[in-house]
Amino acid sequence: MTDDATAAGVVHLSFDGYAIQAEKGASLLQAWIASGLPLTENAGCMGQGVCGACRVLLRRPGERLPGTALACETPAEEGMQVSFVDHFPARRPHAYDLHGVTDSWAVLDEVDRTFPEAKNCRHCSGCDRACPKGIEVQRMVNLASVGQTFAAAELFDACVLCNLCVAACPEHIDPAHLGQFVRRISASMTLRPSDLIMRLREIEEGLQPIDPDAPGANPKVPT
Amino acid sequence: MTAGIPLAQALANWRACAPAEPRPCGLPVAELLRGFHPDQRPGAMVPLLVGISAGQRAPAELAALLQADSLVDDIDLAGAPLLEADVLVIGGGGAGCVAALTAARAGARVLLVTKLRIGDSNTVMAEGGIQAAVGEDDSLQRHFEDTLRAGHFLADKSLVAALVSDGPAAIRWLIQEGMSFDLADEGRRMGGTLLRKKPGGASAARLLSYRDFTGLELMRALREAVLLQPGITLLDRHPALELLSDDRGRCAGAALHDLARGRTVLARAGATVLATGGSGRLHLLGFPTSNHYGATADGLVLAYRLGAPLREVDSFQFHPTGMAWPGHLEGQLVSESARSSGAMLVNGLGQRFVEELQPRDVVAAAILREIAEGRGILRDGRAGVFLDTPTLERGKPGILAGSLVTLSHLAHRAGIDPASEPFLIRPTLHYQNGGLVIDPAGRTPVPGLLAAGEVTGGLHGSNRMMGNALLELVAFGRRAGEAAILDARVERPRNVGLTHLADWRRALTVQGLPLSRKAPMIFPPYGNFNAATDRGKAA
Repeated sequence: MTDDATAAGVVHLSFDGYAIQAEKGASLLQAWIASGLPLTENAGCMGQGVCGACRVLLRRPGERLPGTALACETPAEEGMQVSFVDHFPARRPHAYDLHGVTDSWAVLDEVDRTFPEAKNCRHCSGCDRACPKGIEVQRMVNLASVGQTFAAAELFDACVLCNLCVAACPEHIDPAHLGQFVRRISASMTLRPSDLIMRLREIEEGLQPIDPDAPGANPKVPT
Repeated sequence: MTAGIPLAQALANWRACAPAEPRPCGLPVAELLRGFHPDQRPGAMVPLLVGISAGQRAPAELAALLQADSLVDDIDLAGAPLLEADVLVIGGGGAGCVAALTAARAGARVLLVTKLRIGDSNTVMAEGGIQAAVGEDDSLQRHFEDTLRAGHFLADKSLVAALVSDGPAAIRWLIQEGMSFDLADEGRRMGGTLLRKKPGGASAARLLSYRDFTGLELMRALREAVLLQPGITLLDRHPALELLSDDRGRCAGAALHDLARGRTVLARAGATVLATGGSGRLHLLGFPTSNHYGATADGLVLAYRLGAPLREVDSFQFHPTGMAWPGHLEGQLVSESARSSGAMLVNGLGQRFVEELQPRDVVAAAILREIAEGRGILRDGRAGVFLDTPTLERGKPGILAGSLVTLSHLAHRAGIDPASEPFLIRPTLHYQNGGLVIDPAGRTPVPGLLAAGEVTGGLHGSNRMMGNALLELVAFGRRAGEAAILDARVERPRNVGLTHLADWRRALTVQGLPLSRKAPMIFPPYGNFNAATDRGKAA
């Protein structure tokens, strides 16, 4: 037990139906494994908060509705009710071919074609409430569906691939994947760094040879 | 308890001295590493007794797994469902996704299997960036020499040449897949220049990034690409238990475990690409780790049993700046981008003690030296040194909120304000420098078995430079994907089974090693799922 936890004691909570205890300060994910329960899914980066694997539904005492969170970055609290949210395959794949979109005038047409539900957003904010990263998901959807591609892409900067907004959307808009679509198309269609282009050209022209016998490529011989 | 300077005293010393003057470490590099790098600790490494690399040294924890018996027997294969593919890719991180995409686009039927979920990997956690020599003041040769020098000239030159030559094309490929990069001037998307930082040990600014979550940005683009790519069948929650062999010793696919149903599944393939990543979750020498939950050395274990040789498996990277306090964040990474942006390391006396942008092994050893010699800082019984973010913020106002987003997020969870209080940090187990022997096409010496990413060795010598891991997974993921489809077209495995295990068990017995020890580990012990005994149950 860590010193900080010894001082602060333990908390009691319910996790996937198990009544467990946790050291105060421990994350929900740490509380789960410290209780001897098997962890074979819903785990990834173990606390960095970047992989979106450890999604949970979470209700604190006194709250009527549960919210969503990532178990690795949410401290366990007294009286919490928690359950993992399973991962599920998207039922309606929103399929597009990124390399097939070659005309930037047609990006909005591609949004309409691939994500036809985006125009039907009913502004329920379910996606906003579901996002553990506080992204304005609904605004991203609305911007993407009126051709404001860069602005939409910027809003989705902090996405960690948890797909909770996909589960939350009653219109099956698939916001997480729409967000990635606008991000990907923004980069692939407009990012053209000149230093990279020039270096690629030099390499193709054979102007960047590698000499394995150069002095710097070998350990210094003691003199 | 380690000796050290109590927090309050250390903070007073730090305030009195800030900004601290540069101070060299005072010990020659070789002596510093010999005295304080964890790899060099007496008893840390043991020689391997069985297998093709017998005689090589490996950490005791890894050697135990490498010299264990298989989790499966012929009887487990009988009646197991059989899947067929041209190319089987094991591992759903960066290298696996790149290899799968490359093979599928060349026309292969690809089976991509992963222990957890596509994208769950060390790739997604990479913060700092990716190296590629694009600057006018830079060249492929410089990248080549820097990588060799940082690795103490133990790397394979042909692999390093392949790596650095692929660098600029790898960045173009990533942009084509929809990954963004930071620009020197964000207003100039077309015709501007990439933002370049100087990684530790480099002779030029070569580190390209996307904020301080480069790996996440890379993985987001790749995950979407894989999910949308025709020709790739994805199986989440299917760890590999054993590689299959044919009667000529060729790799023929793998026996997988379907975790959801608690049953074995066979995948037969013309070529198999191992992209299973590293081994931080073995917690070598009791160190905390910055690694992903799945990093348990499974690929090394499987390939070694089938006869694939290893190299530099006695060399691990301890990232200098892991969290030392608070306890629930122990081992979590504080990105090197803090130091490459100018943050200093300060001991309990308020002094700097090493040039912060030296290669990682040097900086880590220097920190461990400060702690061992009593100049560390103690907080709640945990020892570390300061990463001086407040001085960084004073020098470059706004940098914490603007470009060190992940770092600020981490500080929030630690309950500190990084603009007024420094982080307490200590080295954390970060990367497996060595691994499977491969050629520049990504082939191991075992026919039909290829490998890419952290599971391979030879690119980093005994110390990896920041930014070369992300480049490696793109460069060698593509190389392995291309070679795999060629191999799958040449020859198909026949009489597929576990023929290699008879010889392996005989070798273990001859050396007096127990057959009761099973591997791969699949999940760390604190995951409460023992692959040897709990496998029949759905989990």
